[in-house]
Amino acid sequence: MDISEPLKPAVLHILLALADEERHGYAIMQAVNEQSGGTVPLRTGSFYRHLSKLIDAGWVAEAAPRPAGDDPRRGIYYRLTARGREALDTERRRLVSLIAAFPQGRRAARKSQA
Amino acid sequence: MRHSADRWYALLLRCYPGEFRNRFEPGMRETLQLEYAEARARGSLALLMFWFWTSIDAAWFGWAERRPRFTGGFSMKSLLTVDVRDAVRSLRASPVITFVAIVSLALGIGANTALFSILNSLLLKTLPVREPQRLVLVDDGTWTNPIWEQIRDRRHDVFEDAFAWSGTRVNLSTHGETDFVDGAWASGAMFDVLGVKAVLGRTFTEADDVRGGGPDGAVAVVSYGFWQRRMGGAPDAIGRRLVVDGVEATVVGVTPRGFLGPDVGRSADVIVPIGALALAPGQAKMLEGRSVWWLEIMGRLKPGQTIEEAATRLNAVRAQIREATLPQDWSAKDQAEYLKDPLKLVSAATGDSDLREGYRKPLQIVLGVVAAVLAIACANLANLLLARAASRRHELGVRLALGASRFRLAKQLLAETGMLAFAGAALGLLIARWAGPLLVRQLETPSSGVTLDLSLDWRVLLFTVGVTAVTSLVFGLAPALGVSGISPWDAVKEQARTVSGDRRFGLRNVLVAVQVALSLALVVGGVLFVRTLTALSSTPLGFDPEGLIAINVDARKNDLAPDARVQLFERLRESASQVPGVSSAAVSVLTPVGSMRWNTRVEPTPASAGLTERQRVPWVNVVSPGWFRTFGMKVVQGRDFETHDTATAPRVVVVSESFARRFFGSEQAVGQEIRAGIEGPQVHAYRIVGIVNDAVYSAPRRGFEPVIYVPLAQLDDAGPIKVVTVRAANNAETLSRSLASAMTRVDSQMAFTIRPISTQLRASVRQERLVAMLAGFFGGLALLLAAIGLYGVAAHSVARRRAEIGLRMALGADPQGVVRLVLARLVWLLAAGMTLGIALSWWSVRLFDQLLFGLEARDPLTFALAAAVLLLSGLLAGWLPARRAARIDPVQALREA
Repeated sequence: MDISEPLKPAVLHILLALADEERHGYAIMQAVNEQSGGTVPLRTGSFYRHLSKLIDAGWVAEAAPRPAGDDPRRGIYYRLTARGREALDTERRRLVSLIAAFPQGRRAARKSQA
Repeated sequence: MRHSADRWYALLLRCYPGEFRNRFEPGMRETLQLEYAEARARGSLALLMFWFWTSIDAAWFGWAERRPRFTGGFSMKSLLTVDVRDAVRSLRASPVITFVAIVSLALGIGANTALFSILNSLLLKTLPVREPQRLVLVDDGTWTNPIWEQIRDRRHDVFEDAFAWSGTRVNLSTHGETDFVDGAWASGAMFDVLGVKAVLGRTFTEADDVRGGGPDGAVAVVSYGFWQRRMGGAPDAIGRRLVVDGVEATVVGVTPRGFLGPDVGRSADVIVPIGALALAPGQAKMLEGRSVWWLEIMGRLKPGQTIEEAATRLNAVRAQIREATLPQDWSAKDQAEYLKDPLKLVSAATGDSDLREGYRKPLQIVLGVVAAVLAIACANLANLLLARAASRRHELGVRLALGASRFRLAKQLLAETGMLAFAGAALGLLIARWAGPLLVRQLETPSSGVTLDLSLDWRVLLFTVGVTAVTSLVFGLAPALGVSGISPWDAVKEQARTVSGDRRFGLRNVLVAVQVALSLALVVGGVLFVRTLTALSSTPLGFDPEGLIAINVDARKNDLAPDARVQLFERLRESASQVPGVSSAAVSVLTPVGSMRWNTRVEPTPASAGLTERQRVPWVNVVSPGWFRTFGMKVVQGRDFETHDTATAPRVVVVSESFARRFFGSEQAVGQEIRAGIEGPQVHAYRIVGIVNDAVYSAPRRGFEPVIYVPLAQLDDAGPIKVVTVRAANNAETLSRSLASAMTRVDSQMAFTIRPISTQLRASVRQERLVAMLAGFFGGLALLLAAIGLYGVAAHSVARRRAEIGLRMALGADPQGVVRLVLARLVWLLAAGMTLGIALSWWSVRLFDQLLFGLEARDPLTFALAAAVLLLSGLLAGWLPARRAARIDPVQALREA
């Protein structure tokens, strides 16, 4: 994983899904599906491929304790590491500055619709 | 279901490397289970898609995880890899379209490859022997052993070398029920000429091909398949004894795996030298008979020698060969023809096969059919991809706006179609590997096995690659060219829906019309062949096949005098008729629609004087008294044979109605005399004592042909091979065991095979059934694909005109009017396509005129039926979107616009 490059949509969404709470695998997939409105197709195969890369990069780690009262059958929970949070923040700043560079574009879009 | 699903995940997860599995297996299993539950709740299509994509994912990512992980930047990768990766990603983004595309491509390519691999091995593949190009066959048909011996003695003058062989079923059982395998009698030089070496032991040579056996006695060489199947691949197979048609032979060698013998389509599992036939009881005629035609002769040209040179040399010695082998008992006219007949040579690089002539045309037609199916699948894909391209205008516009070149976009779209085609071809090859052998099995009959080498060779691979390339060009080009119509402004338009009236919708209409035309032609073909099969199966036979069981008895080994044979068969008949459940039994030399036939030339009668010689050749069967009754035939005039029609009584015959008509016209046939040489050249006079109803003799397709029936007891030499046919009162299947023991009780020496007559009947229409099955299946598939295409166009048009339809409804159009509006366009498409289709089939059905039975190729009813089926399915395909259009809520539609 390289912070200097734009993140892939799926990676971004996985990081976002873990930003505010720890989740297990299937919950992450469902969250990505909701956040993206179904535009980022993620099935078991592709999800675990991304996950393994994120763990190798040290952006995501296994969360040791489980929230009490949850279904004990659910597998491992994952959390965002400090580096992962940093990567997410870098991406956010990159996207904001990118959008900031587009004021003309927005106006052009309105005009064409009229 | 739960358990098998779990097992399948476990299998899929094995695609991943162990380290990955250790880390994620429990998690993956859990998410898969949840995804499965979710898909199951959504219905069977979702479930199907789940399995399909989960399997593909596992294969793809499992492979990706096993590769060393790539760590560099994108710049390191070539543009092509980027394209492929992007293409895969974009195909995965629209899984339904990708699924439909891959599966329909795989079906099309698979069917084409399967058919082609059969054609290839039957017609194109060269024999797996040394320098097959130099092999030639002495045309045409078969030769007698005396002729072969003449050629053998001169073979080095004419060819480098030559051999003779006869592929046949041989019986390995010593007595009682037969145990037939595909075998061959071959002359000593066969393996040398073909350049085939034994993988175990040795092949036989000239020294072994001596009458009565060579230094090792009678020997046999067995095929690799036989060695594995019947001898368990035992290393000590050499030296074992086999009894081949009554000849005790020692196994001396095993041929290599790929070698199936010089006949294409059948494997020679047990090969014995011709000379060993001298040891076979009752087979002397095969070696000495000057009119027993059973051997095929193959030669190897000398290096640099052409076929013409060899033929000239062969014909130079023709006169000597012919004179030395002249059948003495023939008429002077036939002898003169025999001496005159030239010897022809044809190339035998691809071996020899009797299947070829029968199946060349049907296979070519079916190949044409599957090619048309592939074309329809292509048109469907092009349509799907065009629709997808239309809905991706926004995305592509964004990429153009971000600076991608049109070339770059076109390249990516081509990469997508390339990936689709590749996946389709890979799956198609798998389908072909499975379907090819399945088809070959349909060619088999109980009395003749078919073995074809369907392994992939360069021709089949080239064919598949070529078909795939052409296919992907056809369906991939239109969307790729469409890139030129996209502008960066599409990026800023909010929805693809605002695009209207683009040209490519016109192209889609043309594609659908062509689909309709092609599938109409295929449906016409399917209906024609299915009706041919039903006509053949329901054609009157003249006898009642239900409950008839034929016991083919081979008493050659008993080595009896002709009189004793007649008595043996009478005892067998009696024993069979006493089996409980058997209502009657009779003996004959052959059975209708069997593999053997017998004909004779009848001297002209006053009514037949004007007929050609060919028309005066009726079929012959030799039967015992009661045979007609057993077969459910009726003596319409005169009498059946009776026990007093013995060898010493005057010669009599019973003839069929069409025989009486042809040879005696309106005259009374019973009581008349005919002259014919039924048993040989010797002409006798026979008095007609009865007329029986017409019955099929050779095949249902040939209809009723004139037949003469001769009483068994009056035949000079009844021969050792006969059929005892019994009529079973009820369930014929369970009878065969008691019939077998009834046979062995009478005599334990002779060999016999028990088989219902209905099996023989089914075998006689196997070619028609195969063609009907395939044409029907692919006609249905074409219909389905065309319906999907029509549905796509109608659904797309409804989606595009949503706002307009909403407006119309707001202004007071009633739902029926909306349905009409949608269907009107479809009816035009259907009408155009069907007109084209009728013209196409009107022209093309002539090609299969000869394969039809009971109806004309341009049968109006068939055309009407096919058109009706197509119209109905087209309207159904259009009705679903039309109904949806009629339910559009005008308020909502207008608000969205």
